[in-house]
Amino acid sequence: MKKLWKFLGSMQFAIGLLVVLALACAGGSFLPQGLRYEEYAALYSERTAGLILALRLDDVFHSWWVLVLTGFLCGNLLLCNLLRLPQLLRRSRQAGDPAHLGAPTVTVGGVQDPDAVLTRLRMPKAVEHTDAEGRTLRIAVKHRAGLWGAWVCHLGILLLILGFVLGQMTKEEYTVYGVPGQVKQIEGTEYALKIRDFQLQREADGFVTQYTTALTLYDLSNEDDVLAQDATASVNHPGSAFGFKLYQNSTGDAAHFTVRRDGETVQEAVLCVGEQISLLNTPLQVQLRAVLADHDKAANGSSVPGYAYQIYIDDSFYGMDVQPEGGTIQDFLPYEVSFSEPQSYTLIQLKRDRFSRLALAGGLITLLGLFLAFYCQTRRVWAIREADGGWTVFGSSPKGGALFAEQVREAANQVQS
Amino acid sequence: MTNLLNLEGIFFYAVICLYFAATVFYFLFVTVKKEALGKAAAAIQILGLVLHTAALILRGIGAGRLPLTNQYEFATSFAWGLCLVSLVFIWRFKFPVIGTFAAPIILLLIGYAAMQSREVKALMPALRSSWLGFHVSTAIIAYGSFGVSAVLGLIFLLRERMKNQGFWDKHIPAREKLDLISYRSVCLGLLFLTFTIITGAIWAEQAWGSYWSWDPKETWSLVTWLIYATYLHLRIRRGWKGRTAAIFAVVGFVCVLFTYVGVNTLLPGLHSYA
Ligand code: HEM
Repeated sequence: MKKLWKFLGSMQFAIGLLVVLALACAGGSFLPQGLRYEEYAALYSERTAGLILALRLDDVFHSWWVLVLTGFLCGNLLLCNLLRLPQLLRRSRQAGDPAHLGAPTVTVGGVQDPDAVLTRLRMPKAVEHTDAEGRTLRIAVKHRAGLWGAWVCHLGILLLILGFVLGQMTKEEYTVYGVPGQVKQIEGTEYALKIRDFQLQREADGFVTQYTTALTLYDLSNEDDVLAQDATASVNHPGSAFGFKLYQNSTGDAAHFTVRRDGETVQEAVLCVGEQISLLNTPLQVQLRAVLADHDKAANGSSVPGYAYQIYIDDSFYGMDVQPEGGTIQDFLPYEVSFSEPQSYTLIQLKRDRFSRLALAGGLITLLGLFLAFYCQTRRVWAIREADGGWTVFGSSPKGGALFAEQVREAANQVQS
Repeated sequence: MTNLLNLEGIFFYAVICLYFAATVFYFLFVTVKKEALGKAAAAIQILGLVLHTAALILRGIGAGRLPLTNQYEFATSFAWGLCLVSLVFIWRFKFPVIGTFAAPIILLLIGYAAMQSREVKALMPALRSSWLGFHVSTAIIAYGSFGVSAVLGLIFLLRERMKNQGFWDKHIPAREKLDLISYRSVCLGLLFLTFTIITGAIWAEQAWGSYWSWDPKETWSLVTWLIYATYLHLRIRRGWKGRTAAIFAVVGFVCVLFTYVGVNTLLPGLHSYA
């Protein structure tokens, strides 16, 4: 049992997990994700398709086995950090202790001025001690915090994974689209969203540089006291209301839809491309398929838009055509149906992820850990006064190895010369 | 503005010539084994870097934005990053052989840039973010550092075959030191790659409403990150230090190149403009 725990917290296991996770991610990026059995069978073979689905390779990044591997990685990190904590505390406490200097990686004898060597190495001021043999000993320690680099990095990764997984499990995400003036209930929630305005900013040549939607979110949970919060969402600048972040996701074409009978308007709506509407209480449905900005040319040379539509009867396809601006669709007589006023709709994404801050904190802690591990590596330089009055300088740096040894030798040489 | 962009074009082709010359000199340095050739190669590379920096600045002013937004700009910046980091390592560790291996990669990258369209186009709204500068510039340093790690990994693997040759012994450090230099470059790369991923996630969250979407570029940057994390742990385990770690440093850079070129051409996703 003890052996198992040791293995689960070991670095071999960590290395294995990291490699398998890297392979899983690489595989998931090559294999098309989210297809159906028939689609995989058409791409590969029926046997392969069966295997793909059985192993959940169709959704690698959310598969049970990637989740299990990630769970193992978290357990591994946690165990590793817990097991190493007492040792780390001891090591950082003992870093400047003359009784725990350990074996040096470099030794230079006959130094006259050890403080000058320390200055060259940009070490902090040395603390003087007397060793067991009564000799004077000076110890300088730089970057004690560096001992904690890997530990902090591992902690950050744990928090990052935790924040990400919890976020995936609990996040709420909705999309709403519409044109200015519309109020839409957000399905499955007690919120409604009103699109107050939608603007496209363009450069002189017509290229769109920004989309901005002004909106109001209503909290309908209390019928007697409907709460409202205004927000503005544009690309790269999400708005926020009632704990939701509101993103300007995309845009598309829409048009005004009118039904008249005997010259009187009997039905009106704004249809976004792809939307379908039933004609009053009849089994007839009309779907707007596209708004064609340059459908035709007017006598004065200006463009005349057209509206591509499809007609369904009881959900069965009946026909399709294009209605030019100013025209009407005659298939529904005595009703006169027409599209007009081409416009843009806005697509807003609402999202609530309470754990994204935890993931961000995890990321920043990981970064801090990496910085400590790589750029604040602990170094110790100590000097012992010999009987002849000269000093022997020793240095150790667990991560610096030969490079640090070279630096100490160089510094000592420069001071001597 | 057009004048500045034209001048940038001239500088760009001059830079290609200089990098080509540096590659030739570095090659002669290790074949003819004359130190002066190594020094001349490094001097040409420095001149190339200065001109390259000027070209990027001209493009930035000419386009009125950071020159880091399309395939051409990123490829040329990637070459610039590798050139800069390799020169820093050559200077810091007095190790011009790095240039012999790095210069051809720089030449390939700038050649790839030359094959891309140099046209300055208006930016789509998602790219108009101040995070873009942080995200891409940190990626350039990360990729440049990983390029140097791969070069050092290769030198490490080749060093094993070179025995008792005065020139090599003088110009290529012993295995332990080589491993440490490679480690330094991975450290720089991994720190910056982590920065790249975090700034990218923050930006993605603002632009697309999701900080991580398993888009192929994101996925491959994670693969790269995992490979270098493995490298770090391999180095700590005694038996795997050195050779195995050097192989991982090379594999890691193959992942970097795939993240950069392969993902764009083979696995289109949200990053299709980069
Ligand atoms: C995504 C995963 C991981 C990352 C990015 C990571 C990162 C790091 C870094 C940056 C270091 C410092 C290396 C150096 O200074 O040269 C390190 C060391 C270490 N890691 Fe990890 N690590 C990860 C996972 C793990 C796991 C799962 C374990 C579990 C055992 C582990 C165990 C260790 C140990 C024992 C050290 C040595 C610490 C030292 O020398 O102070 N790592 N890791």
